[in-house]
Amino acid sequence: MAKVTSTKRKQRNGVVATPAPRSDSEGEDVRDDLKLDEESEEESPLSSDAEEGSEDRSDVEEGSDDDNEDGDEDDISNAIRSLLRGNGAEKSDDSDADDSDYEVGSDSDGSGAELEESDDEEGGSDSEEDGAGPAEENGHAKESVEGSELDDKNVAAAPEGNENGNTKGVEESDSEDDGDLNPRNTVGDVPLEWYRDEKHIGYDRDGKKIIKKGRKDQLDAFLSRADDSKDWRKLYDEYNDEEIILTKDEVDMIRRLREGRTPHADVNPYEEYTDWFEWEDKGHPLSNAPEPKRRFIPSKWEAKKVVKLVRALRKGWISLEKPKEKPKYYMLWGDDLQTADKTANGLAYIPPPKTKLPGHDESYNPPEEYIPTQEEINSYQLMYEEDRPKFIPQKFDSLRKVPAYADFIKERFERCLDLYLCPRTRKKRINIDPESLVPKLPKPKDLQPFPTTFYLEYRGHTATVSSLSSSPSGEWLASGSYDGSVRLWEVQTGRCRKVWAMGSPVKHIAWNPNPQISILAIAVEQDVVLVNTGVGLEEEEANLVTLLSLVKKPKSDDEETPLGKWKHDEELKGLRLRHQHVVYSVAWHYKGDYFVTVAPDDILSSGLPPIALSVLVHQLSKQQSQNPFRKHHGRVVRVLFHPSRPFMFLATKIHVRVYNLAKQQLSKKLITSLHEISDMAIHPGGDNLIVGSKEAKLAWFDIDLSTKPYKTLRNHSMDIRGVAYHNTYPLFATCSDDSTAHVFHGMVYSDLLQNPLIVPVKVLRGHTKGIYSCEFHPKQPWLFTAGGDEVIRLYCN
Amino acid sequence: MEEHPGNIEADIQETQIQVRFNTKLKPELRVVSTPFAVPSSLTRYGLSEVINALLGLEKPIPFDFLLDGELIRTSLEKLLLSKNLSAESILNIEYIPAVLPPTPKETQLHDDWVSAVDGSLDSHIFTGSYDTFARVWSPEGTCLRVLEGHRDVITSLTVIRPSALDGKSVSIITGSKDRTLRLWELSLEDLTERNASNPSKCFRGHTSSVQSVAASPSGNQICSGSWDSTIRLWSTTQDDVEPGAEEIAKKRKVAGSGVDPQHAETEVTARATFEGHTQCVSGVAWAAEDYIFSVSWDHSVRSWNAETGANTATLSCSKALHCLSIGGEGGSLVATGGADSVLRIWDPRLVGVVVPILQLSSHKGWITSCKWHPKSAYHLLSASHDGTVKLWDMRAKIPLHTLEAHKDKVLCADWWRDDSIVTGGADSKMTIVQNAKFSV
Repeated sequence: MAKVTSTKRKQRNGVVATPAPRSDSEGEDVRDDLKLDEESEEESPLSSDAEEGSEDRSDVEEGSDDDNEDGDEDDISNAIRSLLRGNGAEKSDDSDADDSDYEVGSDSDGSGAELEESDDEEGGSDSEEDGAGPAEENGHAKESVEGSELDDKNVAAAPEGNENGNTKGVEESDSEDDGDLNPRNTVGDVPLEWYRDEKHIGYDRDGKKIIKKGRKDQLDAFLSRADDSKDWRKLYDEYNDEEIILTKDEVDMIRRLREGRTPHADVNPYEEYTDWFEWEDKGHPLSNAPEPKRRFIPSKWEAKKVVKLVRALRKGWISLEKPKEKPKYYMLWGDDLQTADKTANGLAYIPPPKTKLPGHDESYNPPEEYIPTQEEINSYQLMYEEDRPKFIPQKFDSLRKVPAYADFIKERFERCLDLYLCPRTRKKRINIDPESLVPKLPKPKDLQPFPTTFYLEYRGHTATVSSLSSSPSGEWLASGSYDGSVRLWEVQTGRCRKVWAMGSPVKHIAWNPNPQISILAIAVEQDVVLVNTGVGLEEEEANLVTLLSLVKKPKSDDEETPLGKWKHDEELKGLRLRHQHVVYSVAWHYKGDYFVTVAPDDILSSGLPPIALSVLVHQLSKQQSQNPFRKHHGRVVRVLFHPSRPFMFLATKIHVRVYNLAKQQLSKKLITSLHEISDMAIHPGGDNLIVGSKEAKLAWFDIDLSTKPYKTLRNHSMDIRGVAYHNTYPLFATCSDDSTAHVFHGMVYSDLLQNPLIVPVKVLRGHTKGIYSCEFHPKQPWLFTAGGDEVIRLYCN
Repeated sequence: MEEHPGNIEADIQETQIQVRFNTKLKPELRVVSTPFAVPSSLTRYGLSEVINALLGLEKPIPFDFLLDGELIRTSLEKLLLSKNLSAESILNIEYIPAVLPPTPKETQLHDDWVSAVDGSLDSHIFTGSYDTFARVWSPEGTCLRVLEGHRDVITSLTVIRPSALDGKSVSIITGSKDRTLRLWELSLEDLTERNASNPSKCFRGHTSSVQSVAASPSGNQICSGSWDSTIRLWSTTQDDVEPGAEEIAKKRKVAGSGVDPQHAETEVTARATFEGHTQCVSGVAWAAEDYIFSVSWDHSVRSWNAETGANTATLSCSKALHCLSIGGEGGSLVATGGADSVLRIWDPRLVGVVVPILQLSSHKGWITSCKWHPKSAYHLLSASHDGTVKLWDMRAKIPLHTLEAHKDKVLCADWWRDDSIVTGGADSKMTIVQNAKFSV
């Protein structure tokens, strides 16, 4: 019976779902339990339960025995519920009575053999309980709590005697549980309705049917309630078809749970804390000692070790690299791939191409389809010698019957000859995209304005127009022609305002750059004629008249005669300056007082060699001439003044020399590498100049950069006749005998590190004959061109 | 011109477009405002035929047609395509009488190139020429008077305040390359006998050729642009040199001693000098009494406050400019012509807009002169070195008419009597082109 109850108890524990906490009072038990394996550990709370409710158990056993038949479940559950709700007043009386009954019952009912067998303690506890019981009887809920406390004490006292027996007993009960005397239902978690109409409620562990016990009807239940005062503690377990009577202890547990306390009365949640760990100055959590110095200084021993390692590394005692393992087997003679690699590294050897390997057709016993028929062989004869197949497959019965190859020696020889006579050299090709070599230039569209369109022409000359010069204001344009006239044009309308008849072809004209001195210098034959254009400022007019009247005293005629004769020209109302040779060009100094003329001696009169007289500098205000050079290296073509500083540029046919006029010495000699310089122009900044040559080449010099051309362009197809810079816009132009004028964007940067940007932007066509002269408008991006077709054309942006 | 309605219906096989005609003309020239379906291939001429047929006029009137303020110059089909309009929607087309091509009437031969012409007076025409003389012409084409006084080419000429003239006397101003401007006061009655006339005033101050001249609306002031890149303001009512005049005037008296003293002309010095242009000021015009526009070879159009001399605005072109005219709607648009073949129209009222609102290009040479029609807000003329004068309607991109006025360059042109054009050119002729009909 005891075994049964213990299992029941387990069940109940499950139902109530109150895992019993291990009480500290059971210190001994705990220690024992620790020795147990997990299973027993789990069951250790049960053991305590067993102890506590030991006296109940006997009661329950008896009760269950007694009350098996009686008890309406509903009533019982009602009773339980009411109890759980809190001990009702009327109930409490009952309970008191019950308790007393129960005590009495427990006493009265003699415990079975199993009881004695199961626990010695039970008997003892019974007796103790008996002692405690009467105290409780009169108490209400509160008192019952005290009672329970008393119980606890009893229980606490109990183990001392029975510790071993107790645990052992529980174990036994478990093992006996497994053995199972009472049939337990094993149907599992199936709806019990399935068994409603059966005679059994399920199956026990051996598979036998558990027969339903007859249920009490209402009357019986009522009677049993009336009879049995313990009936309110009964519960019906539907699953096992049995009635369970809650022990007093269990009821107590439920009550405690309802009150929100621990289910076991002997659990003290506020137990005193015993600090087992004691040390000297436990007032401070950690050691207060100062940090030792060694924590802060580097380890001496480690340093020594590192020094050792470093030394070993330096001396090579330790090598970090793993020695390369040589392959165990390698190709003795190397393979083809390697030789090819070697050639890639620059070695000269290139493997010869391999001969073609023989195919099926060259077999001594080729397949049938390779063997040509007689017809085919005959048809070969009709083919050209080169097209004929070199080898005609033949079939032999055996290898033995294959004759010697007749051409073997010949073929070997030819191959050797091929290898010998065709040297296999590696050609190094530079893989460069030709596009990338072309310099990146901005598009002409972005470099506007520049002259593009022909708008106006100035007609009037009857022969080649040789020279153009624009007034500083840009209102007028002067042109000199081989028809012996100089014309003055109104730029805006193309109206010819004035014509000066010179009598002989005009070689060159130059407008004075000073806006206050609107004088034109005209080179005609051996003379330079200075005329008043009459378009200058009004207040300067009188000034010009005096400037152009002869002031020279005749006394210094001895030095005058070789250099130049100043005369007054009545007809033109100007000055006439006679040279010894034909004047080819004239150029003004930027201040407008000095001008330089180039009169190289003619080939005809070169018998007498005053070659030094080819360049003369004249002063307008004093009407004096001087010869700055003792001799020249070659025929002088063009002389220009620096646009702002005392320098003079002198172009011979090959070189350009730069003279410093202040120091009177050669400053620079520019090597043009041209053979026939025709014209020269100086950038308004003065540091760049362009030189055009009769070999159709244009050279741009950056004087600060080098004495060699910065860029040489060969843009024209025929001689370049004239070159010109624009005063304000970054433009320059060349004109040529091929009747085109080329306009370039020539940007000179103020940053000395940046080279000038030269971009060809436009080719101007329209002239029918060669262009002799080009001149930019001083203020607009317009270009005047004139040449062999007698018209002057104006190209505008 | 007279179209039979049946013919129109016969053409209706092709795409039809619904058009509704409206007009601001007098009631007898109005058609019903119900939409008509017309073939999409119709051009201006076809539309004009339709209108004439609808009106049933005995003498057909050529009409021009406006869609959204632009003259129709292509077929309706192309117009719809270019404007992205649906062919199913109804087009509201306004019709106006077309400007008839004027007919060249007569040419008067000068001794030299005609450089300036003014047609602001209905009764007379004034021209300036390269032979240093200004001339007065009668409408019949006879030279009534030669104005002698300048010693160099006359570059510009203008009549002072033509609207206020009573028809008896007139004042004209000429600018010349001899750096002076001269004022001539003429009595129109006794012009019949051909004799020379002397200037009454001489304006000295420019240090280089005078290129342009303009008189203020009130006639009290004139301004001139010159090659010395200044604009000078002169007063016409000022009688003599003021005692505290500018130093330039004094200089002038010293330097200009060569001027003939026998002429009874009074010398006037500039009241103000506006400096700002960097090159030749090639055109000046008054927009209001105190508001001057100028164009220059330095590629800029500038406006000036005549009172303070402040440069109030600068518009920048990419080409040298030769001429300007103020007119258009509200008299606030500026037309400029320059060293290319494009006639540009600027709206100085637009703030922050630096490009011309309209660029009309049809010429083949430099534009030497441009003039707004004195009464119409849309019409202007331009003269060019290519020998043609073109008549423009601002609402169309192509010229209304191209007049082959001269064999050589046309140097000057002006409106005359609202429907005629007088031009002068490098072939030494002044041409009058008449009978352009305007709906103003």
